[in-house]
Parts: sequence; C-alpha cells; structure tokens
Amino acid sequence: MAKITILLILYVDVCIALGFYSYLRRVKKIIGFQLGMNISIVMGGMTALLSGILLIQNYPFHFTLITVITTLLGLTTGALFGLLFDYQTFVSGLTNGVIVGLMSPMIGTVIEMPSLFIWFVHAFFVLCLITIFVSIKRS
Amino acid sequence: MLLISVLFMWNVTELSSVFRMFKKKHTLFDDRFTKTMCMAITMISSFVLALYIQLLLPANQTGLYLLPIVVGLFIGWKFGTIIKAPAILNGIYNGTMGGIMGMMLGAVLQNPALCNIPIESEAMIVSNMYSLAIFAACLHALISQFIRYSFRV
Repeated sequence: MAKITILLILYVDVCIALGFYSYLRRVKKIIGFQLGMNISIVMGGMTALLSGILLIQNYPFHFTLITVITTLLGLTTGALFGLLFDYQTFVSGLTNGVIVGLMSPMIGTVIEMPSLFIWFVHAFFVLCLITIFVSIKRS
Repeated sequence: MLLISVLFMWNVTELSSVFRMFKKKHTLFDDRFTKTMCMAITMISSFVLALYIQLLLPANQTGLYLLPIVVGLFIGWKFGTIIKAPAILNGIYNGTMGGIMGMMLGAVLQNPALCNIPIESEAMIVSNMYSLAIFAACLHALISQFIRYSFRV
C-alpha cells in the first residue's frame, strides 16, 4: 500500500513539473535573467531531491542505479529550465541538479520517519512554487 | 585503486586547462559571466576531487583527514581571486561545500553500512565504488566541456 502511495506522489510531482514548464514557456518574455537563474536552480534541485528520496524509498536495493538515474534527471530538468532563458542559467541549473542528485539518495536511506519527511519536503516544494509565482506576477 | 588514480589525473589536467584559459581571457567577460562560471566549475570539481582523495586515502588515519575540505577551499580560493571581492566569498563557500559533500559520498561508498544501504559482499562494494567514480568523472568532463565551449562563443 505504501509503495503505491509513493508512486502516486511521484506521478503528481512529474505532472506539476511539466505543467510549470509549459506555463513558463508562455510567460518567458517577461522574466529577467536574475529570476530565470533562480528558477532553474530551484527546479533542478527540487526535482533531483524529490525523485531521489521517493525512488530510494520505493526500491531500497538499487543504490547505484538510482543515483545515476536521479543525477541524469536533475541534469536534464535544470538544463531544460535554464535553456528557456540564456546560456549562464543553463550552466548553473545543470550544475546544481548534478550536485543535489548525487546527494539525495543518501538522504533517503537515513531518514527515520519516511512519511513525515516526505510531506515536509512536499510542503517545501509548494512553498518554492508559490514564491516563484508571486515573483513572476510582480515582475 | 589504479583506475581511480588515472581518473584523478584526468580531472586535474582538465581543471588546470580550464583555469589557464580563464586566467588568459578574463578581461573579455563581464562580472556576472565570471561569477556564474566560477560557481559551476568550483562546485563540481571540488566535489569530484574530494571524492577521489577520500577514496584514495587509507581508512582510519587521523593526520590527513581534513585534506578533502582543504583541497576544495584551495580550488575555490584560486578561482575566486580571478576577479575581486564578492567572487572570492562565493568561490570559498562553494568550494568548501563541494569538499564536504564529496567527503561524505566517499565515506559512504567505502562503508555502506553507515547509510543502512543493504550491500554486504566485498566485490559489490568495489564495483559500486568504481561505477560511481567513473560516472562522476564523466559528469566533470561534460561540465568542463560546456564551460570551455562558452569561452569560444
């Protein structure tokens, strides 16, 4: 039962990230490079963190494979969000995704109360999204 | 261990070539470009070099155990002094952070029971270590390739 819940949460996260990407494609003309760099860093890091924790909770016997998958996922997400703006946001989003993706399966293996920690990280993710929306509306 | 030494030499050569290119061309760019590129190369290279040093050092010694953090701090300091005051703080922060993280990953790869990772046999630990080290070296090569490409355009 718990595994199905984790897979559902992962699916919802993927949908949120894709929807946010298509929203940013429409409004990218009004976003400056400073906000663009922060958006690419936050989205690459948060995608790598969430996918690392959820995947290592679901399949605890494949540490190496999950580290590789999470790093590639963070790299591509940071690069895609950074390519909306310019070359420097691309490089910084890619690097941050790589670093967080190499670290996040280790966090997932040592936590003691998994459900509480997963809800806390999701609250953090939603808070980041709300902050980004407010900054886009004000710019 | 020989494979890890070869990867270490490869990444140090790549890092020094990027540093020399940076030193030669830094008057062509503005401050924002220099700060971003310093952040990217400092983070990934201090992470990877600290990981290799932690894997190469013998376990349970007390004298050299802060060496990976010092290497990260040194890389950040060298890249920070290319331009003046705010960049050196950025470089030192990112370098030390990368050094601490690489040391942690190296310690977990040497002894997976620290993180409750269910890998028991000796051969699995060694193959795990080699595959992650090769993957990290490929990531370092990729990012320094992107940075060298950005100097050309």
